[in-house]
Amino acid sequence: MPLVRKPSSPTVTPIPDDRKLSDVLADGSDDERWTAVRSAPSAPDALPTLSDALSKERVPRVREAIFTALAKIGSSESAAVALRYIRSDDAPLRTAALDALRAMPGAAAGHLPQLLTDTDADVRLLACEIARVLPADEASRTLGALIERENNTNVCAAAVEVLAEAGSVASLPILARCADRFPDDPFLTFAVKIALDRIGSR
Amino acid sequence: MSESSTKRILVIDDAALVRTYYRTALEAHGFVVEEALNGLEGLEKVLLQPFNLVIVDINMPQMDGITFLHTLRSRELPVSGIPILVISTEAGKQDMAAARRAGANYYLVKPIKQETLAEYAAIFCGAPR
Amino acid sequence: MDDALPPITEDEFRRLADFLYRRTGMVFTETKRYYVERRILERIIATSSQSFAGYFAYLRSEVRNEVEHLINAFTVNETYFYREDHQLACLSADLLKERVMAKRLGDTIRIWSVPCSTGEEPYSIAIWLLENWKDVDAYDIEIVGSDIDTRVLEAAAEGIFGKRALMRLTPQLIDRYFHGLDDERWQILDDLRQSVRFSRVNLIETKETKPQGRFDVIFCRNVLIYFDDESRRVAAENLYDNLLPGGFICLGHTESMSRISPLFEVCRYSGAIVYRRPQELRA
Repeated sequence: MPLVRKPSSPTVTPIPDDRKLSDVLADGSDDERWTAVRSAPSAPDALPTLSDALSKERVPRVREAIFTALAKIGSSESAAVALRYIRSDDAPLRTAALDALRAMPGAAAGHLPQLLTDTDADVRLLACEIARVLPADEASRTLGALIERENNTNVCAAAVEVLAEAGSVASLPILARCADRFPDDPFLTFAVKIALDRIGSR
Repeated sequence: MSESSTKRILVIDDAALVRTYYRTALEAHGFVVEEALNGLEGLEKVLLQPFNLVIVDINMPQMDGITFLHTLRSRELPVSGIPILVISTEAGKQDMAAARRAGANYYLVKPIKQETLAEYAAIFCGAPR
Repeated sequence: MDDALPPITEDEFRRLADFLYRRTGMVFTETKRYYVERRILERIIATSSQSFAGYFAYLRSEVRNEVEHLINAFTVNETYFYREDHQLACLSADLLKERVMAKRLGDTIRIWSVPCSTGEEPYSIAIWLLENWKDVDAYDIEIVGSDIDTRVLEAAAEGIFGKRALMRLTPQLIDRYFHGLDDERWQILDDLRQSVRFSRVNLIETKETKPQGRFDVIFCRNVLIYFDDESRRVAAENLYDNLLPGGFICLGHTESMSRISPLFEVCRYSGAIVYRRPQELRA
């Protein structure tokens, strides 16, 4: 049976690239930048280089790899770099940033107080998703406080969506009050009812 | 069997409660509803089964609505020709323009009434009122 | 079953179903409810949770991979020859046809099975191609099986299997590709055993994945869905790197890249969803 033969080729030994990360990111080909970013150290001092590269990178997979590198660092500062992009007008870039933040939940959660009080409703709305990683009591406190002061019903709805999964019984009165405040928003009324049923179930 | 019970609608939104809200409204009017959580899952479903209409959000994990639109419109017929209704919280003119450029048939801003959703679905699917 | 625990309410079921759907893509409808409830109750007891609410909080906290334990309770994790053979069919009918369009006769085709566990998958690929791909003689086919666990790799290299592993194979196939050691055990023929290279690889370690080289097709089934978000990204990037431009990657039938990574293109072949590293644009 000479049909399927033992592979004769040895495993490939990659040639290490000794150039500095910043040099490769400035001059390298797509593949070189991609490889360099993926082996970027998880050390905080790689952060300025990665942050700068992210602001210029146009190739989606290299951009993804930079966001992954930020997630691997997983510090408050690396989360801050990713957070800049949730304000972008470019939908794919916002998504890439949020996906990276999902991969560093602890670091991202540290920024929630500022995010949930941002003047931009779109930011507050996207920040609700970040609160999903919090344990029940904290999610209830954080998103509950948001709902009580929030006037944008879509932001409230985003918070209710997360509380339907993550909320605790402390959320119940806050959710009820929210539905009372905005009786004309049909989705919010619907969503609050479901959240109340789920959290209140036994 | 009424015509509308054979019309199939794909709802793509990362919020479970939004999907449930749309499903409740659409099923009450006789539509068959499938769900997806982001553009990538939506694309998979569209490739595997026929749909008369896709309703899609903008902000979703892995693949956002604009990328979904571009990707879908670049495939072959019949998939590339499916009517797509964008329903999003993004209310700016540039968001609507981006969606139109990417190939959306229409754009609605949340919150939307369930009756309104059913009306638009009927218009796009050609179902009798 | 512990009768002291009350049955799960519909709201509790929906809360859990939405959570699992978001994390894994698995759908649990009302028809599956009884089945799912039994599994959840087993996990509630196994984790010494006092209630569904307590268990759900534990599940969400992602401590000790409870999501993995719960998913394992729903899925049959047995490995056996010709498991998910619609993907093998897709391989010979569609994927390889595409891949050889840019190859000359005698060129190499590289296929990776990772994780390969005790070898059923890579050997299945070999047998399937010998049996079903008319061009199997025309190219030099290289199959690599990798796993993080050296014990299963040793077993794979040995190539000895029991009745259950062979249950999907016809007696003719068993006769053709195995020799019987006794009533209970069969060993893959030496030629086949020697034709698959086994290596130890951790998917999230680039320095372990990169040396495996680039492949035409990768089978990466039922492992990515168990990784956390960060590891999924790293593994997906590694797998992308291990694909030739235009190369394909197949996941397990309940898995989807929609929960893992945006790097790959989505393709449909013969009613199956397969993912692809984009082709390089030619100058």
